Amino acid sequence: MLIPPCEKIGAMASRILLVEDDERIRTSMRLSLEDEGYEVEEAESGEDALEAHARALVAQPFDLLVVDIMLPGMDGFDCCRELRKVSTVPIIMVTARTDTHDVVAGLEAGADDYVTKPFEPKELAARIRALLRRARTTDGGPVSLTFGDLEIMPEAGVVKRDGEEVHLTRTEFLLLCELAANTGKVLSREQLLERVWSYDYFGDGRLVDVHVRRLRTKVERDPSDPRHVLTVRGLGYKLAP
Amino acid sequence: MLDEHPEEPGRPGGDERHEDPEEPVLEDAGGAPALRLAPPLRPRAPKASRRSLRPRRHLGLRARVTTAFALGALVLSGALASITYFSVRNSVVNQQEVSLRQEALGSAVLLSGRLQHPVPDYDQLLASVDPAGGSQSFLYKQNDWFLSSPTLLPDVLPRALRAAVFDGRPAEQIIDLGGTPHLVVGVPVKSAKSEYFEVFDLGNISRTLHVLLVSLILAAVVTTLGGAVLGSWGASRALRPLHEAAQAALAIAGGRLDTRLESEDYADLAVLTSAFNRMADRLQERIEREVRFTSDVNHELRSPLTTLAASLSVLEGRRDELPERSQRALDLLGAEVRRFRRLVDDLLEISRLDAGLGEVSRDEVALGSLVQHSVEATGIHVLVDIDEEDASRRLVIDKVRFERIVANLLENARHYAGGATRVAVSVAGAVARFSVEDRGPGIPAAERDRIFDRFSRGSSAKRRGAGEGTGLGLAIVSEHARALGGKVWVEQNGGRGARFVVELPIRTAEHEDSPA
Repeated sequence: MLIPPCEKIGAMASRILLVEDDERIRTSMRLSLEDEGYEVEEAESGEDALEAHARALVAQPFDLLVVDIMLPGMDGFDCCRELRKVSTVPIIMVTARTDTHDVVAGLEAGADDYVTKPFEPKELAARIRALLRRARTTDGGPVSLTFGDLEIMPEAGVVKRDGEEVHLTRTEFLLLCELAANTGKVLSREQLLERVWSYDYFGDGRLVDVHVRRLRTKVERDPSDPRHVLTVRGLGYKLAP
Repeated sequence: MLDEHPEEPGRPGGDERHEDPEEPVLEDAGGAPALRLAPPLRPRAPKASRRSLRPRRHLGLRARVTTAFALGALVLSGALASITYFSVRNSVVNQQEVSLRQEALGSAVLLSGRLQHPVPDYDQLLASVDPAGGSQSFLYKQNDWFLSSPTLLPDVLPRALRAAVFDGRPAEQIIDLGGTPHLVVGVPVKSAKSEYFEVFDLGNISRTLHVLLVSLILAAVVTTLGGAVLGSWGASRALRPLHEAAQAALAIAGGRLDTRLESEDYADLAVLTSAFNRMADRLQERIEREVRFTSDVNHELRSPLTTLAASLSVLEGRRDELPERSQRALDLLGAEVRRFRRLVDDLLEISRLDAGLGEVSRDEVALGSLVQHSVEATGIHVLVDIDEEDASRRLVIDKVRFERIVANLLENARHYAGGATRVAVSVAGAVARFSVEDRGPGIPAAERDRIFDRFSRGSSAKRRGAGEGTGLGLAIVSEHARALGGKVWVEQNGGRGARFVVELPIRTAEHEDSPA
């Protein structure tokens, strides 16, 4: 059962599940996130997180998860993968270093973004805000866009391939919409980072690369031979018209 | 070694146990290969590489051995040649003299017999006793000279010799006639009251000896050259293990900590080989331990810092609720936690660079836009000088590393030199130059290498900004520049101040693989 990501901010406080085994870090993060106006629930391990998430689904689902990759037992990557089987909720990974392996592994496991310890609480708050912001209104744009076997309905937040709904995470969806809004035009990684993730010039290009890979596995018939989401060498990506 | 001077603990250089944990063992910022800490992932190099690098000291030794061999060969062959020549000459000449003397005596005896009877023609008589030729005979009888041939005249006979023979004593002498040595033998023929002289041409002997001399000299020269060649070959054979050891040492200094010497080839040098390998083992161990330690410590610092940053943010959000004294304490706490965080960030950055773990990304950007964004990100306002053509130049570079370089240089200028006054960017051929100028105290020439070391502060830094910088900024700039294939240096900025220049190679999209 898949629940679309909650888009309402301001109406009620967004609910965040914080998954971190270090008690002090968890407590201090909870305090600072609550100051930002979020409702925070804590989980000490990957297993606890899955349990809490499943419970919340029937009552009040979480709007976003913050998951540390270094967890006892089930690590953050596995936790993320398990969550992705049942949800497209935004996930921010907390990594210990910015080396390729951890970041890419986290992104491929399904995270939407990441922060690196030690981080300023403001950084995390900015990332959360970027992920939770409302989808752009299409302002009279087309209700539905079709590209071969792919159909995109931006306002409804639905994507179908061969008539069947494809379940994209919020970020994957935004990425696809951004490419679709500029059909045939090449968007650079910097541009995509800014529009989809609200990063500045120095955002991490790997976010874009891994998300394109993930998108392809979901919307392309053959991800290794993409027809829709194309790479333009040295410049960026585009959606084929 | 350390026990040699037990009573002098303060002796400079005597006790080498003091270690600076921040300084890797063989670092040298002066231009010799600095110690690059490569991760132990590279395949183990079985033999030292055979690049043809010849350190000068090494060449001198070989030349010396070669010269010694050549000189030795020269001396030996020279001595041998001389001994040979002189002994041959002596014996040959002596032999010749003896035989010629005998001949002359024989002729004299013959003559004395013939002279008992009346002689019609003395010339003919002389001619008849002349056995083989190659000599001329003279007879002096009753104040008359008789010659066997008209070639030589009696006045060629040396006076002293004639006098001796007239006195009744046989004599001989070697004279020089027309450049050729001749042997003159004089024999008194008492029975006929005459004196007999014979002059022998020693030309043949002389020529033979001359040929011998030339041959011996030639042989000496050839032997000397042979000695030189032998010496050279022998030296290089003997010195090759040293050469290999030198290459191995260079490889280790260059970061290939795995390099070891193979001991099979040189049994004689087993001691050198095993000592070298042991030393390399210990060095590698030590460096890896340091890197691991630094990395572990840094890693452990992240968690408390995360908690500190989050808690601090909560307190600072409620600053107004606090009494004034608490507010002041909070401000101090905040400033120090942030400084601590910057220090840990810098240390982490440096230790990642040391361990060679950092990747170099390839982002395709426009130079002008890259510099612009980098400067803006620091929040420092400074003029950027770049011309339009250079600004629109596209290149492939790791933009985050570049930003770190810019940020650290601008921060450095702010902390120690009152702020950067100008930033200039230019492109010359295949390199881009980025420079940051200030009007601060400048860097004295003697310190211009040292300031890029870790935790070193120029002598003019003193109190100003002493609480702000981490001491690692320039080291980070240097490491990033190196990772990008470039370099950084500092020069005098006109009359006063410093200009830090970073030079980076420009790589373009054609040379690079595209992402994803």
